[in-house]
Amino acid sequence: MNFLDDLFERRSRQLAQRSSRRGVLKQLGGLLVGAAAVPLLPVARAVAAPQAAPKAPKEMGDESDCDYWRYCAIDGFLCSCCGGTKNSCPPGTEMSPITWIGTCRNPADGRNYVISYNDCCGKSSCGICLCQRDEGDRPPYRSDKTNDINWCLGTASAVYHCSTAIVVGVALDKGAK
Amino acid sequence: MRRFKNRVSWAGLLASTVLAATALAQDSSLPPLPIEATGTVQSLPAKYPDEWFLVHDASFFHMSDGKVYVIDTSADTVAEQVKGMFNVVLMGNIGQSRRRGEIYAAETFHSRGTRGTRMDVLTIWDMASLAPKGEVVWPTPKRYMGMPQRFAVTPIDNDNLLLVVNFTPATSVTIIDLDTREIVNEVATPGCLMAYPTGQRGFSSLCADGRLMSTQLARDGSLIKQTRSDVFFNSDDSPIFEHTAFIEGTAYFPSFSGEVYPVNMQGKVAQVGKPWDLVTKEERAGNWRPGGIGLIDADDHGHFYILMHPDGADGTQNGGGSEVWVFAAAKRERVLKIQLQAWGLSLAVSRGKKPMVLVTNPTDMSLELYDGTSGEYIRSVKDFGQETPLMLHASYQD
Repeated sequence: MNFLDDLFERRSRQLAQRSSRRGVLKQLGGLLVGAAAVPLLPVARAVAAPQAAPKAPKEMGDESDCDYWRYCAIDGFLCSCCGGTKNSCPPGTEMSPITWIGTCRNPADGRNYVISYNDCCGKSSCGICLCQRDEGDRPPYRSDKTNDINWCLGTASAVYHCSTAIVVGVALDKGAK
Repeated sequence: MRRFKNRVSWAGLLASTVLAATALAQDSSLPPLPIEATGTVQSLPAKYPDEWFLVHDASFFHMSDGKVYVIDTSADTVAEQVKGMFNVVLMGNIGQSRRRGEIYAAETFHSRGTRGTRMDVLTIWDMASLAPKGEVVWPTPKRYMGMPQRFAVTPIDNDNLLLVVNFTPATSVTIIDLDTREIVNEVATPGCLMAYPTGQRGFSSLCADGRLMSTQLARDGSLIKQTRSDVFFNSDDSPIFEHTAFIEGTAYFPSFSGEVYPVNMQGKVAQVGKPWDLVTKEERAGNWRPGGIGLIDADDHGHFYILMHPDGADGTQNGGGSEVWVFAAAKRERVLKIQLQAWGLSLAVSRGKKPMVLVTNPTDMSLELYDGTSGEYIRSVKDFGQETPLMLHASYQD
């Protein structure tokens, strides 16, 4: 079966080189370089201006996948699979204000971010997308870094439903724990 | 098609007639069955045999249905293995008193099931009847709720007092008089968690700053003194597990990286001893490390048993292991390696002359039983309605 995989991979690569969006951009880039030599009217300059604007922050990956970068220290059901998102709770639940944190590297920009894993509470276990990563997880005596505790604290109900992963800051030190 | 249907109907009628005739053919030589009483409920011995284990199914997918099965691992069939069950609602914890024949379960209820007023309760289960025989209600709900622990509900002082760990995230310990079944005190344990029995009437807690804090209590549960040890580990870089095994008053705390810290708990204050390696140089090169939930336990012969896995890294510490290693604690010597059938997440070791090791297999959530002396696989215990048996307990704790 491996030879079939290799075959499909080679064909895909060739196809991608010929017809990918990147290839289209390359050709377009060539046209733009050529066009730069032609004096632009003021209106055209205004249209061109957004290209010089700062780049938008970027993430990559599927937030309903346990391998998603923000979930490096998580242990629980992903709210993204339960009617919520990576940073919001499903309808009718309540987000815990007290949490544990992890430090995860965003592969899109290479930065380490402090992630707050706020639990969503008040309904029984979501039961979907159980994800346990535990990177940087510490035992419960180190409560700020533990995912072994039910963090439905400070909420009307202590019943755990799912976990979010919210960016709350850029880690000061790249090697920070 | 119609003719075929008719044929089937005739065949059915014939079968019914034969069955009816068989049923009617009574054997009058046999006496009839006696009339049976309704309302009969079984009971158990007040002290469980050594082969019995308490299997805590935290019901991770249905936490309000947490429960503990009483399992006889010496039996061959499920019907013989399951002796009974009691509930531990919402990520609770249990402790046992062999002297009193009681099991203590810290539970949480809400007045509307998953919502409404929260109530934290210590339920006192009778070991013989498996019925609740008393309860203690927290004035303000705050008990520790999380993955199951062995030292969150701890009897001390010859089982006169019971300690229950709280977390809000402020940490404290509620002290209950087991004679009067009343809360007699609550002691703050700032920055420290769990209650490991220490001395005649005290406990120690593990602290985030890498210390142990020992708390001495008076007979009435009032606070005498709290003492913090020197820093002996770093909770960022060289953490130790909160799970431990007690052997003759010494608690053995494994570290994430494969050392073990012996802590003498016989005096009023915990005395931290020199750590020693669980792994050889070669094994360390292969990143053999401890891992799991209930990853360590002891027998009555000076041995502790610990789940180990190769290729360990940050993040593998809760995942369990492929082998159980057995150490003679006093000699600091490994005496046995048990290759598990598949993988182990938690373990418990029976007391008595013949230690048996019960291991949770997380691949199918069954339990596997091994001979603790030879390492021989004996049997699997499965299909008893379990979902996530995350913590196992020998049938009593000293």
